[in-house]
Amino acid sequence: MGDRARRLRSARTDPANDAGELLQRVALGDEAAFAQLYDLLIGSVFGMVRRIVRDPAQSEEVVQEVMVELWRSAAKFSPERGSATTWAMTLAHRRAVDRVRSAQAAADRDDMVGRRDASRPFDEVSEQVTARLEQEQVRRCLSTLTDLQRESVLLAYYGGRTYREVGELLSTPLGTIKTRLRDGLIRLRDCLGVA
Amino acid sequence: MTSPDIHALTGAYALDAVAGVERADFEQHLAECESCAQEVQELQETAARLALAAAEVPPPDLKDRVLAQIREVRQLSPDTTVVPLRRRSLAQRLTTVAAAVFFVAAAGLGVVVVRQDNQLDAARAQATQLEQILKAPDAELLTLDGSGGATGSMKVAVSRQQDKMLLLSGNLATAPDGRDYQLWTLADGRPSSRGLLEPAGGNLTYEVGDLGDADVVAITVEPAGGSRQPTEQPAMFAELPSD
Repeated sequence: MGDRARRLRSARTDPANDAGELLQRVALGDEAAFAQLYDLLIGSVFGMVRRIVRDPAQSEEVVQEVMVELWRSAAKFSPERGSATTWAMTLAHRRAVDRVRSAQAAADRDDMVGRRDASRPFDEVSEQVTARLEQEQVRRCLSTLTDLQRESVLLAYYGGRTYREVGELLSTPLGTIKTRLRDGLIRLRDCLGVA
Repeated sequence: MTSPDIHALTGAYALDAVAGVERADFEQHLAECESCAQEVQELQETAARLALAAAEVPPPDLKDRVLAQIREVRQLSPDTTVVPLRRRSLAQRLTTVAAAVFFVAAAGLGVVVVRQDNQLDAARAQATQLEQILKAPDAELLTLDGSGGATGSMKVAVSRQQDKMLLLSGNLATAPDGRDYQLWTLADGRPSSRGLLEPAGGNLTYEVGDLGDADVVAITVEPAGGSRQPTEQPAMFAELPSD
């Protein structure tokens, strides 16, 4: 029981309220509050970004950018538009996804990246992720989704895929994927009691 | 896109799985559809739980690096304007109406949604500014498209005689969090920064003078606050007409 357990626990309890208060202090330039906010969010930000970006050095870079951005733009957070944790995770997810997509575009979009990626079995991604999910509740709720819903949601969220790419990877029409993503998230939302 | 179709994108959007023009379109739709915005918020909240569930122990030295870095980073204040727009106040007041007036009066292009009457005066003032450029005998109208990955499109009215150009967009997506659009002109390959572009609700009007011998106009997506030199391939660009 050390750092790891403590950090995981702090990420596991819903830190929404704490994070909101801290973020408001951070917006006033409170560095101590930022250090606390860092501790509260870093495990989740790091884990999520690493799953998407994969390359360890680049993941760290993105995580560092995200945390600095939280500091920089804390004043832009408005509580009426959602919780501070969601705000931070949304920012982090968008950053991670931008990184993999621009890297793809720059390096090898023309170089059959689609084919290479398609050859990586999608269930490798989702099983790994599912197996490693730290949060029992999320795992349980994910298991209430249909296979296609779950695979689609996980490929999009942890795989950083666009829904069009998800459609290709799962050989499923786009209309169906859109619906699965939405229905899957709605089912997850209801199961997790998010509202 | 029909409305049930676009509504079905709430899930994909909450997962950042909508890209390019489609994302811009959807964000525009979100601004007008309260129930969609509400649903997106809930689904983003749900997606964030997937991040919480994925927690891992970060490298121990990362925190020190981040804490050291924030001491060098100036924070935004809630009303910070980091945009050195020469005509910012006017630009801020610009509405899609201005674009409509301009396009219809001057170029016969496109139909744009009309919003509020009280914005008409500002729009008319803006339209005058626009017409002025287009009155120049050498005026040309260019289109910057999003082929470089930007979401949205932009028209540029250029006059060499007046030595200026005017940028207009009615559907430019907000730059990603922590990024800004930066405008450049290039003369013989050498870039000059022309400031940051901040679309408001997709709308943007921005005038640039002193074109000199600039032959290309380009927009890149830079880290917030902008860069000294472009650090990425342009998201949008066009060649300017020669004298």
